[in-house]
Amino acid sequence: MFIDLDQAIKLIQEGRVLHIAADDSLLKQLPKGKWIAGTTPYFITEQGGITSKDRLFVNEIACAVDYKTAVYDKNNVFDITKDSYPNGMSFLVIPFASDVAVFYAKEAPNSNDLLMNPTVGWISGFDLSTNSSAKVYDGVTGESYGDKAVALHICLPDHKIASLGIVNIFDVDDNDIKIEFEEDALSVTKCLVNGKEVLFSDYISENKIDTQLPLVADYNSVLINVSIKSISEESKTVDFYAPVFSGKEYRFARPVSNYAASFAEHLQEHKGTKPIFSCNCILNYLYGELEGKATPPFAGPVTFGEVAYQLLNQTLVYAEIIDK
Amino acid sequence: MRKKLIKKQAKYESTNLGLNLLISRLQRKYSANQTPEELKNCLQEMKAFFEKYASIMEKDIEALKKL
Repeated sequence: MFIDLDQAIKLIQEGRVLHIAADDSLLKQLPKGKWIAGTTPYFITEQGGITSKDRLFVNEIACAVDYKTAVYDKNNVFDITKDSYPNGMSFLVIPFASDVAVFYAKEAPNSNDLLMNPTVGWISGFDLSTNSSAKVYDGVTGESYGDKAVALHICLPDHKIASLGIVNIFDVDDNDIKIEFEEDALSVTKCLVNGKEVLFSDYISENKIDTQLPLVADYNSVLINVSIKSISEESKTVDFYAPVFSGKEYRFARPVSNYAASFAEHLQEHKGTKPIFSCNCILNYLYGELEGKATPPFAGPVTFGEVAYQLLNQTLVYAEIIDK
Repeated sequence: MRKKLIKKQAKYESTNLGLNLLISRLQRKYSANQTPEELKNCLQEMKAFFEKYASIMEKDIEALKKL
């Protein structure tokens, strides 16, 4: 629900378990309670995409029979699996550009236990037209952090179970050029293009590749994107929003001419989905000009990275609670 | 049958995001260390996953038996 400050305060005072996304100017006015939050002024509501600093996107987690919040840094973020309930789900919000975000991005796919506990969440952000920074809030203590992640662990009733899903509008041509990397990294200089070592930045410029398109890898039929953050012509480094991994084959995504139409097409198969939480990527919002455009049945914050177990890019992520 | 999957000698695509990520992760893990012990570890991980999610993965479990 996309509500004003008074309505959010009322829900907190009623003791509801909440996940909240909003501009920091609103979050700092919230009373202590059963909630966590992250900063963003961008949302895709049921009425469409909007930039707002006077409303909050609130998910009430009514299915929770118990809850707890926890704060993590890069030294203990994978304690999230130990702290989670045996039958539950964890919401994880991490500030953009924090050490814990970088660490989680790189290490989550190698974590032994992470897939045993549904973890969904996002990277909090800020108004890109300002010099703000991203924050997260632990509503139980009222504390905010720019360098720590916050989690809301919820316990589900015995007859329910959490299920996570993603919607990725990008795809690849399997016959397209294959790009591989020799190490797990958030920043690279070299890559293998169809087996031949080249400078990745030169390859991108020489081939006039649109860097708004992500690299895509196939994870057993699930297409996982890695978005390009920046390219330094000087140092010849290419920085990513999520890591690339050795041993994976990447291809640049096919161009998407109309993001809203593409989402509409992909969302056809989700008509029966009843998400309790979803978020979508700021790059989809910006590149796809999603302001004013809705993505039913999904509504939620627009984020600087998405978490469905591991960190994802340019992807819509959602969580459902289903019958066992 | 699950051995074949981990060794990439068989292919199975689930509709469950977690299972697909798990298969991909275990294939990568085993590929980097192709030893009987690693295979055993991977199989144990897969078993634990199916035990936890048995109630919503009946179709996957049955389909994997037929691989």
